[in-house]
Amino acid sequence: MEKMTEEQVKSIANMLRKRSLWMIHYCTGCGAMELPPTMTSRYDMERFGLAPYVTSRQADILLITGYLNVKTLRRVITVYEQMLDPKYVIGFGSCTLNGGVYWDSYAVIKQLDRYIPADLYIAGCMPRPEAVISAFRHLMELIDSGKADGYKRYKRNLAYYKENQRKVLG
Amino acid sequence: MMDIVDKIKGIEGVKVTVQRENRIFVDVSEDKVISTLYNMKLIGFHQLSVQNVIDRIKDNKFEIFYVLYSREYKINAIVRTWIDRENPVIKTADKIYPSAHTWEREISEMFGIKVDGNEDSGKPFILENWKDLPPMRKDFDSVKYSSEHFVFRHSEGENE
Repeated sequence: MEKMTEEQVKSIANMLRKRSLWMIHYCTGCGAMELPPTMTSRYDMERFGLAPYVTSRQADILLITGYLNVKTLRRVITVYEQMLDPKYVIGFGSCTLNGGVYWDSYAVIKQLDRYIPADLYIAGCMPRPEAVISAFRHLMELIDSGKADGYKRYKRNLAYYKENQRKVLG
Repeated sequence: MMDIVDKIKGIEGVKVTVQRENRIFVDVSEDKVISTLYNMKLIGFHQLSVQNVIDRIKDNKFEIFYVLYSREYKINAIVRTWIDRENPVIKTADKIYPSAHTWEREISEMFGIKVDGNEDSGKPFILENWKDLPPMRKDFDSVKYSSEHFVFRHSEGENE
């Protein structure tokens, strides 16, 4: 039998990886409301191999729902840095995308991907569970094709992210 | 209801307005707030629901209000007072209502009002590394602060 190349090993690892994703959801805002129907029998995300998880060390996906302000961003960065590679970030709702309805607030940071690399955004206020499931499916495709490389970008551009973080957190 | 109003009217220096059933406004001058709160508690208003501030920038005043509630009579009484916006100082009510301690801490951070007798007022509470005007004041420009500190996202094709 021929020996497998590194490419092939990676693609098999990615294929297996996308079938078993554990999610830690950081719910700072109203978006948490859409997750119980997503998790439970109505939409049942476990049929895709996704499960909610409670600790950052064992989780693969960091789902950030709702607005982030200076205070919560500090905690999000801690959680993100606790997670092990490979890790993926999904920004949920328009607040993580561009500030949403809190665009003029004195505390809300407007773009998540300036501080930690986001692999995917779900636009909308609020995104329905269908949109959440569709985002997970899309993330699986990205993982399968090796395009979900946020954790690699974070290491590569650490200076850029740290500088942005320092600017708002001091 | 009316017997309670009469009791409140007996407190020195208050102006009582009955807004509607079970809601009474009690307006007092700045120096009589603490004694009024004490007397209100004696009458039966044991709970401080909210203590907060409204910035009346047109009158150049801060409106400090204490929303009191009586479980016995099922009545809300709102004690209000007005202080100057320049160098604002209030006296603490935490000896009468212990929950006022935390409300006052928030007030002192969000409005820059000094609270006499509350050793925690002025300590950082919610905001981190705040160097600007207190954010809940009406003359604080939230849009300006936000655009200086956090970067806007411009979508493709949008004119900047």
